[in-house]
Amino acid sequence: MEKVLLDVRGLKVGFPTMDGQVKASDTVDLRIASRETLALLGETGSGKTVLGMAILRLLQPNTIIEGEIRFLDRDLLTIPEKDMRKMRGKEIAIVLQNSGTSLNPVYTVGTQIAEAISLHQGLKKPAALSRAVELLDAVRIPDPDRMAREYPHQFSGGMRERVLIALALACNPSFLIADEPTKGLDSVTRQQILDLFREINQDRAVLFITHDIDAAAALATRVAVMYAGEFAEIGPAAAVLGHPAHPYTRGLLASLPERGMRAIPGSAPSLITLPEGCRFSPRCTSVSERCTLEHPGLVRVGPGHYARCMLYD
Amino acid sequence: MSGNNLSFYLSFGVVLIYAAFALFAPIIAPFDPFMISGAPLASPDATHLLGTNDLAQDIFSRLIWGTRATLFLGIVGALISVTLGTVIGIVSGYYGGMVDEIIMRFLDVVMTIPFFPLLLVLTIFFRPGIYTSAVLMGILGSIQGVRIIRSQVLSLAVADFVVATKALGARGSYIMARHILPGILPLVGVKFVFSAQHFMLIGIGLGFLGMGDPGVVDWGQMINRASQNGGVILGLWWWLFPPGLAVTFLSLALAWFGYACEDRINPRIQMMRV
Repeated sequence: MEKVLLDVRGLKVGFPTMDGQVKASDTVDLRIASRETLALLGETGSGKTVLGMAILRLLQPNTIIEGEIRFLDRDLLTIPEKDMRKMRGKEIAIVLQNSGTSLNPVYTVGTQIAEAISLHQGLKKPAALSRAVELLDAVRIPDPDRMAREYPHQFSGGMRERVLIALALACNPSFLIADEPTKGLDSVTRQQILDLFREINQDRAVLFITHDIDAAAALATRVAVMYAGEFAEIGPAAAVLGHPAHPYTRGLLASLPERGMRAIPGSAPSLITLPEGCRFSPRCTSVSERCTLEHPGLVRVGPGHYARCMLYD
Repeated sequence: MSGNNLSFYLSFGVVLIYAAFALFAPIIAPFDPFMISGAPLASPDATHLLGTNDLAQDIFSRLIWGTRATLFLGIVGALISVTLGTVIGIVSGYYGGMVDEIIMRFLDVVMTIPFFPLLLVLTIFFRPGIYTSAVLMGILGSIQGVRIIRSQVLSLAVADFVVATKALGARGSYIMARHILPGILPLVGVKFVFSAQHFMLIGIGLGFLGMGDPGVVDWGQMINRASQNGGVILGLWWWLFPPGLAVTFLSLALAWFGYACEDRINPRIQMMRV
């Protein structure tokens, strides 16, 4: 086992709203070793993105955050903003969702990558620009010299995704968060992006946020399944996706088109008024009375494999 | 589209002509504007194209020189107000929270005091002068700009590319200068043109009320002199009308130019006109 790079303990993230606090992340514990790829699966609104943004401390200032996020023995939640700024991009980088709007339309792609480089390394502009071309080449942008001088709107969706990856890799971070990098891509492009990630995750830890189960299976060493702000199940990819323990994970897998496309009945709960007891209980097929009363903890179901379910308690 | 282009170039051309008059005033004007150049209250003739005033100063020369002060007030006032408005607006909108709250509530208080009376009082307090007037107008006039710029920045500050730049480790000042400012620059440009027009008129008003700079000629003071020292009573239209018409055309041209610029930066306005 490699050494632990990121150690999240008891992370709670809440957004105050007029109707009450939205508990986007409710007691998340997570450890990622260096060079490990962890896929974070879950539906839209389960708190995946919030977790990624919380690690980089990019959430709005009025967000309520509790717990610890230790990265290389420093608690990211307590270090001064100046130190956090030095972490961003250099140690921890993120590939944001929505590649279409994550690039500034008024600057060329090369300029924006060069910017990312010079933010942390005191490179002069020409040197940063030629490094930007190298990065574009590394993410397989054809004719990188010319493309570096083009504007974001001249790039296709898949190309823009590559540019965002190049941006994130600009300072060679040891930890990369990728937020749904295969979203909205056609199957060929998606496969190319996955191939790229298979290269990237060789020498760094990756938190791969996705609802693409096949992508998770292809890339991840471990998989965490998120439901209503907490982990429903976490464990080695083969175990979680091969022998899912939690009824929610099973439901998620059964909803895949090639496995019958059976939808999980009901819809995800509101993060303001969560169900009593197990959060999945209103939609669960194996629900018992106890499930509606007690909130289950993560129970060991196999080597390194945990599920938050009464079935195993 | 072509109509818009026509009005854009036409109005810009008129403004340029005025600017040329201001710039080359010493060459164009036949007399020193303060010099006694002949008999007082002379009618227009070949030497005095617009006659002379009660102090025997050449009205045509004064009109040409007056372009300088009037344009200066408009442009310098607008420059100060737009710069202040942009900087404060960006900071307020980008940081939000307490910073924004304090700035906005302070401006709310200042906004309750009417602009022109406040300007008059402050002008008297700091002594009338062309620089004083420009700076005061610039500062007082920036308030509206702050609010307009801030509202634009509010949406830009949460744009994905701003978050993305922050995620790369950029500091706030860098993001504001490199990623937010370019987004509001067109708006700032339009605001500048309208402010210039506005402050120019206010400068005329100050001059007319006797708060102009006694050391320079401006159209407001010319109109004041014409109405106070016999120009109106004696029906000397060549004394009263030229500065009035000059300011009217310049103001119209600037407003027209401002609207044409606004059309260019906001495609939605163009759609509405189609």
